[in-house]
Amino acid sequence: MNAPNFDSSNVHGRATFFDGLTTARHDAVVEFAPRILRVHGADGRVLAQWPYDELETRSSPDNVLRLGRARDAVLARLEIRDPQLAAAIDEQSAPVDRTGRIERGLRIKVIFWSCAATASLILIAVVGMPLIATELTPFVPYAIERKLGAAIDAQTRVNFNEGKRSGTPLDCGSAEKEQAGRAAFEKLIRQMETAAGLPLPIKATIVRKPEANAITLPGGHIYVFEGLVREARTADELAGIIAHEFGHVAHRDGTRTIMQGAGVALLFGMLLGDFVGGGAVVVAAKTLLRTSYSRDVEAAADRYGVVLVSKLGGDPRALAAILSRIDGGTHVGPKILADHPETRDRIIAIEAMATSTPRGPLLNQAEWAALKSICAEE
Amino acid sequence: MPAVAAIDSEYFEARNCPQSAPGNGRMTTSVAADPAAQVNQSAPADIARFVGPSKTFWHVLSWGAVLLMFTLGIYRFWLTTDIRRYLWSNTELAGDSFEYSGTAYELLIGFLIAITALIPLYVAFFVLTLAPGNFWSSLGLLALFFLGQYAVYRARRYRLTRTIYRGVRFHQTGSALLYSVYAVLWWALIILSAGLAYPFAQSQLEHFKMRHTFFGNLPGRFEGSGWQLLVRGLPLWACTVVPFAIGAVAIILSIDWNALNSTNGADVRATGNDKGGLAGIDLIVAATGLWFLCSIALLYPVFQTILLRWWLSGLRFGDVAVRSRLRIARVFGVYARFFGYAIMFTAMAGILVVVAAFGLSKIAGGPSSMRGEIITTVLSLGAYAAIALGYWAIYQATVKLGVWRCVIESLEISNSAVLEQVAAAGEAASPVGEGLADALNVGGI
Repeated sequence: MNAPNFDSSNVHGRATFFDGLTTARHDAVVEFAPRILRVHGADGRVLAQWPYDELETRSSPDNVLRLGRARDAVLARLEIRDPQLAAAIDEQSAPVDRTGRIERGLRIKVIFWSCAATASLILIAVVGMPLIATELTPFVPYAIERKLGAAIDAQTRVNFNEGKRSGTPLDCGSAEKEQAGRAAFEKLIRQMETAAGLPLPIKATIVRKPEANAITLPGGHIYVFEGLVREARTADELAGIIAHEFGHVAHRDGTRTIMQGAGVALLFGMLLGDFVGGGAVVVAAKTLLRTSYSRDVEAAADRYGVVLVSKLGGDPRALAAILSRIDGGTHVGPKILADHPETRDRIIAIEAMATSTPRGPLLNQAEWAALKSICAEE
Repeated sequence: MPAVAAIDSEYFEARNCPQSAPGNGRMTTSVAADPAAQVNQSAPADIARFVGPSKTFWHVLSWGAVLLMFTLGIYRFWLTTDIRRYLWSNTELAGDSFEYSGTAYELLIGFLIAITALIPLYVAFFVLTLAPGNFWSSLGLLALFFLGQYAVYRARRYRLTRTIYRGVRFHQTGSALLYSVYAVLWWALIILSAGLAYPFAQSQLEHFKMRHTFFGNLPGRFEGSGWQLLVRGLPLWACTVVPFAIGAVAIILSIDWNALNSTNGADVRATGNDKGGLAGIDLIVAATGLWFLCSIALLYPVFQTILLRWWLSGLRFGDVAVRSRLRIARVFGVYARFFGYAIMFTAMAGILVVVAAFGLSKIAGGPSSMRGEIITTVLSLGAYAAIALGYWAIYQATVKLGVWRCVIESLEISNSAVLEQVAAAGEAASPVGEGLADALNVGGI
């Protein structure tokens, strides 16, 4: 072996060495041998011989170059505080990354691929999740849907009760003077249920909420809001809306929305981690996704509603009539967040489909009058 | 013979510590005797210090926050690794700095493994919660808490085995399952005792952790006692929990139960507060709540200081003892800095949001167009995430780093010469625990 060349060069070869076996600090001298970096102890003993291409930079304070040997189970470390010596080693060894240039290059790749992964995840959420949910929904047993519906129903009732005027029960039709209205409502629902022949029983109720709206939960729970009853001018108008909701039940839209929402929540909430109370972002994303999807869903429910009302002999155009009235007044917030977008298109589509001639109103004059006052108790 | 060597020989006689390599003691003696061997001569042997420039950390965090936003959080594995590398490698003990040897890829893989295990579990919980009654959902929550504690212990093992000092790693033994059973039981006790069991829970859990912690072949232990912490924390408890309890009792007493029973008991609010036996109750509720929140906000730094000082001063590795003189005023200073930056950031973000909203209303063509709404919604989400990440970065750079720095600088180490004679032991542990902790949001640093 040649004489060590650190003696002849102006590079100071002093460093600190830890052998990875004990914590003892070794005052060391570094020798630049051909192809290997040789570390001598203070007594001249060779402490380590590391090939230059197996050197690895380990994390350290700014003023220290800390080297280890790649893929070495022993955690031997060479620490260099002399900037000239550090530069000389960096020059000799390709993997040594004193300035962090290699690390920065790798990091740019990581950033690129992370952004690509993000784009792909967004695509999955927007395109893939609705498709997966649509494909899986028919396989959900009705027993599971009913249990799911019961759980969501309980939560929905809690939410309804929070915003409600105090002192009166949530459901209309429980008081003495509301009994006639309730009977009329039950009659309407039973008629429709018989005609629809759904695989699960409908649990429909009118609740004291001022908005002109109706919602359907999984498991056949239909909530008709008091505001809608007030807005309806004929029994067929109300029946039109309820038949639309029957459409949601028949198509299992609620279950699909829940599955889609759960999928998106899982994707963004759990996979990506909750880095800043990401819950709000997830909720917003879910709302956006649901509404962007709801156009086709609503159109399908409209078609179902028109067919059902026609089958009963009611006026299928009544749905279009009530929709055109409630669209004007009840919109709050941006339209993208409203559940029934593009109402004009829906009305045109309903009127094109509704070709049957009505055989007369679905409830007689007295029944309709009673139903109108189903929320009489204040 | 220098003092260091004298301590060394005493240590080996007293402990009969197994020597890994013959001749090592001699080497160290000669090195310690040689003044040139003290590479960093400004650092006395028993001193811990933090040498990291704040600017570097701000740089890491601000880029990290931007990248977190554009990768929806995927970048966190790299950011976490950067943060730990910075904190570890700038922490110096007796002249040598620590090394964090974990990588972002390990964290990513650990996380992926953890979620493949968690997804079926989440589905099972989802199905269970559909069953009637609160029983199953409570059981699900308990299981998640249990799993969280399990993850905490496993994550600690990962972090320790990636912590290297003088070429020797830390490691942790002990059963994570057993730890999580203890943790669940202790937390149940804390809740039942209105917080009074907290010092004992902390002390016992820390005993468990430290009993299974090793630096090389040097066993760790914990000597802090629950009574000590109880005595120091009792005034805080008296300032927060006791007024809360008194307030609660006052609320119950001030209700005129007879009046309440005579009205319709099913719906209290319906009868109105003045008539229904609830006169003046809103005031007590407001005062109790306000006092509770204010005292917690103000006393939290005090609590944190007391807890940290107690915890640090109880840490032992073999004969090496740690003592902390962390001062409350310094921790308050750290939080004051946070609020200063946060106020500045709030003002800046507020101005930006107003300007952006104004500009958007001109460009997007009013809220009626579909396109305008999509742009507005996406931008609002982006603004929300950006502002939240801004506060997060400020918190990390002021509170996290500030407390870390204060803690390191408050340390006094005795018998640190022992740290020069530790033999390597332990293996690198799997990162699945970290992944689990990440997926369950119970991660630490």
